[in-house]
Amino acid sequence: MIGVPPPSVDPAAPESATTLPVGGPATVRRCVRELLRRHRRALALLVGVNAVAVIASMAGPHLLGGLVEDLAAGDDVQLGRAVSLFAVALAVQTLFTRIVRVRGAMLGEEMLADLREDFLVRSVRLPPGVLERAGTGDLLSRVTTDVDRLAEAMREAVPELAIGVVWGVLLLGALTATAPPLALSVLVALPLLVWGCRWYFPRAPRAYRSEAAGYAAVSAVLAETVDAGRTVEAHRLGARRVALSDRRIKEWTSWERYTLWLRTVFYPVINLTHMLVIGSVLLLGGFFVLRGWMSVGQLTAGALYAQMLTEPVGIVLRWYDELQVAQVSLGRLVGVREIEPDAGDERVRPSGRDVRADDVRFGYGSHADVLHGVSLDVPPGTRLALVGPSGAGKSTLGRLLAGIYAPRAGSVTLGGAELSRMPTERVRRHVALVNQEHHVFVGSLRDNLLLARPEASDEELWSALGAVDAEGWARGLPDGLATAVGSGGLALTPARAQQVALARLVLADPHTLVLDEATSLLDPRAARHLESSLAKVLAGRTVVAIAHRLHTAHDADVIAVAEDGRISELGSHEELVAAGGAYAALWRSWQR
Amino acid sequence: MRIRDLPYPDPGTPDVRSGPRFLLWLSRRQLGGQVKALAWGTLHMAAVAALPLAVGTTVQAVVDRSGARLAAAGGLILVLALLTALGDTMLHRAAVGNWITAAARVQQLLARRTAALGATLTRRVAAGEVVAVSAGDVERIGWFVEAESRFLSAALASVAVCVALVVYEPSLGLVVAAGLPVLALAVMPLLPRATRRADEQREKAGYATELAADTVAGLRVLRGIGGEELFLARYRRASQEVRTAAVRSARMWSLIAAVQVALPGLLMIAVVWFGVGLVREGRVGVGELVTVYGVVTFLLYPLRQVEEIAMAWSFAGPSARRAARLLALRRTDDGGPVPGDPAPGDPAPGESVPGDPVPGDPVPVLTGGLYDPGTGLEAPQGQLTAVVCGDPDAAGRLADRLGGHAPQGTAGVPSARLGGVPLDEVPLAAARAAVLVQDKDPVLLAGTLEELLDVPSSGRVTAEAALAAAQCGDVLDSLRRSSADPSAGPMRAHVTERGRSLSGGQRQRLALARSLITDPEVLVLDEPTSAVDAHTEARIADGLRELRAGRTTVVFTSSPLLLDRADRVVLVREGRAVATGRHDELLRTTPEYRAVVTRETTPEPWIGEPA
Repeated sequence: MIGVPPPSVDPAAPESATTLPVGGPATVRRCVRELLRRHRRALALLVGVNAVAVIASMAGPHLLGGLVEDLAAGDDVQLGRAVSLFAVALAVQTLFTRIVRVRGAMLGEEMLADLREDFLVRSVRLPPGVLERAGTGDLLSRVTTDVDRLAEAMREAVPELAIGVVWGVLLLGALTATAPPLALSVLVALPLLVWGCRWYFPRAPRAYRSEAAGYAAVSAVLAETVDAGRTVEAHRLGARRVALSDRRIKEWTSWERYTLWLRTVFYPVINLTHMLVIGSVLLLGGFFVLRGWMSVGQLTAGALYAQMLTEPVGIVLRWYDELQVAQVSLGRLVGVREIEPDAGDERVRPSGRDVRADDVRFGYGSHADVLHGVSLDVPPGTRLALVGPSGAGKSTLGRLLAGIYAPRAGSVTLGGAELSRMPTERVRRHVALVNQEHHVFVGSLRDNLLLARPEASDEELWSALGAVDAEGWARGLPDGLATAVGSGGLALTPARAQQVALARLVLADPHTLVLDEATSLLDPRAARHLESSLAKVLAGRTVVAIAHRLHTAHDADVIAVAEDGRISELGSHEELVAAGGAYAALWRSWQR
Repeated sequence: MRIRDLPYPDPGTPDVRSGPRFLLWLSRRQLGGQVKALAWGTLHMAAVAALPLAVGTTVQAVVDRSGARLAAAGGLILVLALLTALGDTMLHRAAVGNWITAAARVQQLLARRTAALGATLTRRVAAGEVVAVSAGDVERIGWFVEAESRFLSAALASVAVCVALVVYEPSLGLVVAAGLPVLALAVMPLLPRATRRADEQREKAGYATELAADTVAGLRVLRGIGGEELFLARYRRASQEVRTAAVRSARMWSLIAAVQVALPGLLMIAVVWFGVGLVREGRVGVGELVTVYGVVTFLLYPLRQVEEIAMAWSFAGPSARRAARLLALRRTDDGGPVPGDPAPGDPAPGESVPGDPVPGDPVPVLTGGLYDPGTGLEAPQGQLTAVVCGDPDAAGRLADRLGGHAPQGTAGVPSARLGGVPLDEVPLAAARAAVLVQDKDPVLLAGTLEELLDVPSSGRVTAEAALAAAQCGDVLDSLRRSSADPSAGPMRAHVTERGRSLSGGQRQRLALARSLITDPEVLVLDEPTSAVDAHTEARIADGLRELRAGRTTVVFTSSPLLLDRADRVVLVREGRAVATGRHDELLRTTPEYRAVVTRETTPEPWIGEPA
């Protein structure tokens, strides 16, 4: 059998559900139109400059045609004039080619910068609930893979296509102007080209996307083997990792083989199209000249124009599928625009600090509820510990109390105002969620703190660090607050990273905190040190602590035991121990 | 090697003495492919080069008013059309084949080397460097290896065309032959600067991408506490820097493009000027002039290949050097990997890829109690031993040593013994098979849950039993929820890289389940439940005890829930085992033990009144 079927394994297929929307064709078209409108002057300039360069490039064949005609007719040849015109045209072409390249790059880069900056602007406006639910993985792949793919297209495909199209059209125009009948010969080749394009282009973009994803997967396996070196060795997974690499290589190369087959069909089509154009120009033209309908000069210039057509047509065909790949990436970037940035209601303001959940029911998406009618009252300054087995809904309840999710039924209020109806920026002035995620941003230590209060002075930053016992090590950093930390900079230990997170809290100064296993990922010694830092931060605030360790619960004002999405026990430590329920049983086993 | 037969059963032993040697080794491995590409490339060049001849013949035929010769020219064009299409396509197939086979071979070599280096790799090389070689350098290496044959065929065609031109029309031919080398070399001085600027731009773009990715990764923090504008402003600056660098790079490349227009144009003018003179003197025909003009146009094409090979070399040279250095690393037991022997060699003695035992491999049967002479720690066979160690770093090092062949080196410390056999003295693979050390931060490898749990094992413990013992019920639920196809069941659900989609506690429990499935002779666990809540931890402690009944297990922990269920507890202080007994005994008899352990159970100040 001739031909290669597309491989069955598609590395570009999503492994987890696409969690954020993808822009449809209409959104993408609107975005492109908007982009073109915003840069219409630069675009017009590019097309104009390009036209000059192309017209200048056609002077050569035109002048040669004239010379050939004169020579053939035995006329006197004005060589000097022709050569100086040729030289002037060449100078213009050289200069304008340079300008086209520079202008093309400027335009492409500007559009690209617009797109990527716009994407990040929209990303950081996403409602916390969307982020919490969708995770950042999908967003991350858009900001890296899709921006990169788009960059490739904008950097090369857009300017090249702009050049190719103008060039091709002008050449056809020149051919028509030189000898109208010759333009007809282009039509001879058209059916073949149309057939080839209709075969190739529906198949190519998807195949190239899978091929690129397959290649990325090869590198990803290796990166993971390196990253998990200890685990791989401990579990004796070396041979399996090698086998997995080989399997990814097989998958990737099978896509390479498929795209190679696509080109094995398409390349001869392009080649034959070119040759058909040149051949029919020469033969038809030759016939016309013999008949006396056309001059030798016209034929020569026409043949050279036809030959020149090879390049712009090649450019257009080569970059067209790149553009299709870019369109998919663009759809993923503009898809974020379709999420409503829930602005909240400016008029909803809390009066007081009382946190209250009233018959709250909540479920993720279309799944069954994980909270079944939870009611809880946390008066200002109360320390409430939330305990219970994994999957009981503790973290979910914490996120509702922090205003990240809106309840499906019932209400969560702060000072009588519904949290889910307030703007995110207002909610976070009052309530903050502290969890295991102690992200240290790439940048200086100062940047990492300033985000909580952008107008803070260095003294304020130092005193915040002092408040969480972090001033000591921070003073010892090589460049103080200007020390680069995060990925690529100085690596902070998890305990220090968590102290930075706590210092941010001190700066942001919300009156209510929801702690979700804030210290549980740290080793016990570091956790102990950190807990004394935390104690200072918590002083005078309302605290809802989701506790893994029972000692955390012991001294809380109120302990709520969550089981299966309900609060099963509620009261102080002594009350619960006396009641003899689940909490008491656990406490006894812990105390033995 | 055909693409469909990839990957190689054995990618071979590369010559890694230097970058160029590595490139040479790669090229020689695919000599057949190179010859094929050279042959098709030459055919293609010849066909394209002959086209101006056809054009010239046609014009001359028309000038001479010869219909027969016009028809002959038509026939010639037809033949050339077929040859061009055939040559171009087959050249492309051969060249891409060379690219893919070279890239696949290097990827396979990298995979084998990293697997052999295992835990010791990142001590000598940054993880990022390995990834950079795989994701970026391999492509450039493949490009150069592939471009070699195209360059050769282009050089061959250029020389042949020049010779033919000189024979066909000596005076015009000499003008072209003299001009051509100038054209080929003119842009060379510009290339290093252009590639440097391109690299600068790539670097800036990489930084901007990193900033964006970092901002998105910490977006929940930003949205929770503020600072979006700060980070947006920072990204905008980086993004604008990328733009400036890209335009700067484009200016250089545009200069190259301009030179590529100007110089050939000048040659054309020279040819026309000189040629018209010759025609007027009657020394050449009009058609011949058109032919020469066309030939000069053609020669620009092989000229590009000369520029391309220069560019490919300027990119691939450093890439090949990096790859060769990485592939030269060898594992040694006392200091991590060292740069390899300068000779292209076999794996270092004793080095093997740990994995499924090869049938017939003499693996000594290791069994019995575990004893560490360094600390005096003893874990009797078949018992659950808990180790309490005040210093978590020291605990990590001790856990590593219990498995033998410790990744950070064991200089000066005697090896741990299993049944009296020093583990450092048995082959790595055998030691790892006998003792599994699960460190504090076990990595979950991306893939389906089924793949994650498919590890070399005794086969005695089922996945269901291990998942149940490690209390993974809710992990299965959340995996099912996040799956692209929820109906496929949790075993087919995907765990993302490092299990990032799961919580810390969930990750820990999955890792524990994986270690339980392995069911090794000795299982060493370092803080296996530090991120798990007390309810669940108690259940895990019971499950662990039940599942490991009769097997040797060592747990580093300070949680009373686990200590309470251990057969014996050992207190380690400053590198020595100072007390041994049951949890309640030690609590009664050893004040120091009580001090270490009850720190855990004492109410902490932070939830009560501030200290």
